[in-house]
Amino acid sequence: MENFRILEIKESVFGDNNKMADSLRKDLKSKGVFLLNVMSSPGSGKTSTIVKTIEYLKDLNIGVMEADIDSAVDAETVSKTGAKVIQLHTGGMCHLDAEMTKQGLEGLGTDNLDLVILENVGNLVCPAEFDTGSSKNIMILSVPEGDDKPLKYPLMFSICDILLINKIDAIENFDFDFKAVEERAKNINPNIKIIPISAKKNENIDKFADWIKDEIKKWKENK
Amino acid sequence: MHELGIVIEIIKTVENFAKKNNITKIDTIVLQIGELSTIIPRYVEVCYPVAVDKTMMEDTKLKIEIIPGNAICKSCNKVFNLIKNNGKCPDCGEAPWELLSGKEFLIKEIIAC
Repeated sequence: MENFRILEIKESVFGDNNKMADSLRKDLKSKGVFLLNVMSSPGSGKTSTIVKTIEYLKDLNIGVMEADIDSAVDAETVSKTGAKVIQLHTGGMCHLDAEMTKQGLEGLGTDNLDLVILENVGNLVCPAEFDTGSSKNIMILSVPEGDDKPLKYPLMFSICDILLINKIDAIENFDFDFKAVEERAKNINPNIKIIPISAKKNENIDKFADWIKDEIKKWKENK
Repeated sequence: MHELGIVIEIIKTVENFAKKNNITKIDTIVLQIGELSTIIPRYVEVCYPVAVDKTMMEDTKLKIEIIPGNAICKSCNKVFNLIKNNGKCPDCGEAPWELLSGKEFLIKEIIAC
């Protein structure tokens, strides 16, 4: 073993990504582009929520980045709103990291944009581990998924600023305890804001849009 | 199965480190994984050969050290393992505790030739 040397690295595995994310956040701040990272399981209603929310944000210039393993289905849906859209393919990866987000933003082109919504890959595990450089993180939990998700995926609930509970119009059909979710989520993340919504019935989407406007305002004031 | 993306991240970090330190040949990389992290060591081991394929780390060995998920009881100061004791102090029951270790996921060191 004499010919061997041991070099200490002692670096978090996520260290490089975190550094890249911080530099991207700084860069976006200087350009005045607010990046909103939207995460959830597949099928919880990310795309339909985004489409409905854009209707309430007509005074903003919005870009949307759709991240999926394959297909352009979501990008086609969102492009009908008039927002600038780019479809990103992760090539099998289950999440976006800061580098991929940066490339996506370059592809989208952020000139004159106020808000970029990043629809992350549908997954409650990995997207929580990789900081994308977003200004705020949101997650959507839909009623059919069940009220036990904060117990099963605590990391995701711990990094989100807001939790939208979608498909609230279907609550009668499921054993979904809204109070229990609230308690479980707040237990992990006392600051998390919870809004029950229905993208289909257009319930409370205005409240979510107001939250976005408020957050952008606060973010702009906070130099 | 999120370990593959994570192993690719590890490779990037080590490659950057090697470049900066003029290291051309690596023998072993040593990771530290906490028992309470979201990473499963067995899956990291499975992904490793696939992820290092055709990189400078192709023939390297992987060593994993497990860091126990330990906590200290806030009322009786007993240090105990959270997993073995089901998240409760074995001496005084459900008292609150403070986490000491177990969430780590670090690249500890590399052994270079």
